[in-house]
Amino acid sequence: MKEIRYVITDALGLHARPAGLLVKEASRFPCAVTVGVNGGAAVDAKRILGVMKLAAKQGMELTLTFDGPQEEEAADAMAAFLKANL
Amino acid sequence: MGIFDKLFSKSSNEIRLGAPAAGAAVPLSTVSDPTFGTGILGKGVAIRPTGNRVVAPCDATVDLMFDTGHAVSLKADCGAEVLIHVGLETVSLGGRHFTVHAKNGDHVTAGQLLIEFDRQAIAAAGFDTIIPMVICNTPDFAAVTAQTAGSVQAGDTVLTLVKA
Repeated sequence: MKEIRYVITDALGLHARPAGLLVKEASRFPCAVTVGVNGGAAVDAKRILGVMKLAAKQGMELTLTFDGPQEEEAADAMAAFLKANL
Repeated sequence: MGIFDKLFSKSSNEIRLGAPAAGAAVPLSTVSDPTFGTGILGKGVAIRPTGNRVVAPCDATVDLMFDTGHAVSLKADCGAEVLIHVGLETVSLGGRHFTVHAKNGDHVTAGQLLIEFDRQAIAAAGFDTIIPMVICNTPDFAAVTAQTAGSVQAGDTVLTLVKA
């Protein structure tokens, strides 16, 4: 089990495009990946509707968890993704 | 059920989604935003709108009406997870030129008004007004096929899903 946190800096927040890209990135890895916002209930990071429904905005903190095969690689990749896209 | 029954009874497994807006139905691949055009969000179709209304493509529950009114996701009664995005990059309008007519959790029926948008104003502001409609849970279906024959009224079939 790995966990990373990231505060959104993008002014537009986690709208459709970054949500789609986040799901695509998370889906590259076999481990379970969840994402939640500001300590709220986490959703499956591999399902677009759930990720969009977080309605995460600039300044909010995302918490991602990784559990299973390749969790280390997945956590590193998602940390880089978040920095580059959100 | 035998193999021949499965082959010839497909109509009962088919789900038809109507155009969310009047206009021209075109392949999703023609959408210039790669998030839609390359199918990252799922398979689907796009409408080049000629009107200013977005309606429900099928009976569904509103999963998320974006507070900016530029997009809406629906959980269809048939199981499809549908995202309708009105124009490209329109999140940056911050709600201007959009009026929402449904809220999260509402059950809507096919053809019911979801969003009104000022197409001319959005275009004048420099935005592409194309409306992609994608099936976010495409892998849950055996097939998602677009009908892109051209001019459609809202409600005309533009997507056919086959249950897995």
